[in-house]
Amino acid sequence: MAIKTILCIEDDRFIGEMYVRSLKKAGYDVDWMVDGNDGLVAARNKPYDLILLDIMLPERRGTEILAALRGGDKDLIPQTRVVVMTNFDQDDESRAAMQHNADAYLIKAEITPKKLLAVIDRINNLPPAKPTA
Amino acid sequence: MAVEQSNKQPAMIRDYWPRFRRHAMALTILMQIAGTVAIGSALLATDAAEPTPPFWVTIIAVLAGSIGVNILLVNLLSTPLKDLTSALTHISGEPSLVTPPNPNARHFERDGFKPLLQLVYQLAATKESAEDIALTPVVPSNNLSTALENTSAGFMILTAKQQVLYANPKAPVHTNPKGEVVIDLIFDEEPTLEDWLKDCEEHAVHAEHTWQRVANKITGEEDRKIYDLTASYQKGSEAEVVLMLFERTDEYQPEDDDLDFIAFAAHELRGPITVIRGYLDVLGDELEQTLDVDQTELLKRLVVSANRLSSYVNNILNASRYDRRHLKVHLREDSIADIYDTISDDMRLRAVSQNRMLTVAFPEDLPTVAADRGSISEVLSNLIDNAIKYSNEGGVVSVTATHEGENVKVSVEDHGIGMPGSVVSNLFHKFYRSHRSRETVAGTGIGLYISKAIVESHGGKIGVRSAEGEGSTFEFNLPVYSAVAEKLSADHNSNESLIEHNEDGWIKNHAMYRG
Repeated sequence: MAIKTILCIEDDRFIGEMYVRSLKKAGYDVDWMVDGNDGLVAARNKPYDLILLDIMLPERRGTEILAALRGGDKDLIPQTRVVVMTNFDQDDESRAAMQHNADAYLIKAEITPKKLLAVIDRINNLPPAKPTA
Repeated sequence: MAVEQSNKQPAMIRDYWPRFRRHAMALTILMQIAGTVAIGSALLATDAAEPTPPFWVTIIAVLAGSIGVNILLVNLLSTPLKDLTSALTHISGEPSLVTPPNPNARHFERDGFKPLLQLVYQLAATKESAEDIALTPVVPSNNLSTALENTSAGFMILTAKQQVLYANPKAPVHTNPKGEVVIDLIFDEEPTLEDWLKDCEEHAVHAEHTWQRVANKITGEEDRKIYDLTASYQKGSEAEVVLMLFERTDEYQPEDDDLDFIAFAAHELRGPITVIRGYLDVLGDELEQTLDVDQTELLKRLVVSANRLSSYVNNILNASRYDRRHLKVHLREDSIADIYDTISDDMRLRAVSQNRMLTVAFPEDLPTVAADRGSISEVLSNLIDNAIKYSNEGGVVSVTATHEGENVKVSVEDHGIGMPGSVVSNLFHKFYRSHRSRETVAGTGIGLYISKAIVESHGGKIGVRSAEGEGSTFEFNLPVYSAVAEKLSADHNSNESLIEHNEDGWIKNHAMYRG
């Protein structure tokens, strides 16, 4: 199933707008949430094909959102791909924990909108992450 | 008079006795004369005697007799003092012709002087053996032992081979499963204790060295303590190496915590960089048709600068991780050409925008290496960035690689300003910047430091050949994958060097997109 709907959880207005603008231009359906609580609610209420998840978010951290969605007994978003996008230099353990439940883990400063589109293309061609938590 | 006297003060113990005896004798004789004169005068004055020759003879006889008796008395009474003085002279080690009194002599036993002499000799012997014990670490005397048990400082006595002979309670040591006592100290900077001891064994008789900020555990572990320590070395002594440690954790720890600040600072810096790089990317595409050649060039410069800014932030983060020993590399099979591909666009753009010719040529048949793609691309990017910085307008920067035994050697060569030998040795130190570059070239001096750390974490080596005015060639080795594959798999759980098992696909490694 090709990716069509995307949820972007990003608190930085400039960065959020930049990604949303490029993704919409490329033909994706994009919803954008700026705080962690709204992001988690949106992710649970609508089956997105892809979630772009920041870590340093107000109200609720990205780590908590991912744990809430995929850390329990049941994967609440089995059809959804998750790309963690952060500028925060996490320690190896926390990063490994997130990578385990995500399809990609990217440093935002390295990802221009063009590169993001390329990543989404690649994810389309990959088997989904199989969380086993 | 007083000055004369003080000049005549006996400087040695053995001089005391003759002087005392002389004074005592003189005093006795004077007193006898004075006494006799007084009695004689009294007798004459009261007319009890006539100044006849028999009278004078009697007076002189009495005087001579009493002087003789008194000399005998003085000698007898001061004998114990004489014996004590000669005993003390003997103990003090002063050369003396007088035989020291033997406490076992009959007359000492008889007159009860024996215990006194014995006590004097015993006290001296105790003092001597106390000095001996101080050199024997295992049985310190009581006071010293109490001090060592209770002091907040750490004390250790080692052999030159770092075997622990003695460690007090505050000394950072632990006993390993083999029952050996091992020192818990991590020496960050050269020389390490081991280096220093090796050097001492070869070159020194007596030496001393001080280290600051030496921790017993890596950052983040519980009960981490940080010390200043001093080591002394005395060749051949029973306590050949003595370590003294003073804990300074309270002073140093906050600075270490500040390093976490770097992670947050980097997060803040990366926000604007994300936006700048992102919108430059967008603008580059959307304005492609409308910009003239000049404007396109300006845009390129913006892109190059934003990319460099981003690499520098990564350098700072990596250096901070490395300093905290958190820098980990995830080794997997990769090829130099593929690694370079991830940064080639960026590098080409950097070279072009600064008018350098960048030529990159890797042989087709180069074997794969065990590498962390993101980290090695940072090394390449740092070396190329340097080559561009320190070469001249229009200069050629060439990147090549060769297969040498169990290694692949990657070289980055420039024909720029080069460096004298004195600069080369400091080059890979943190914040070091070459002689001229301080004024003319911008930078932090952190790039080579972190490059060295990364290459060495791969089990490789980094080095430089340079001639002033002719240019420099930086080279680093990486192990050929097939040579280390087995070892890497075996190390899998050691978390030091990991092969990343990649069943979920390449995209798990975020570093893929670096540069």
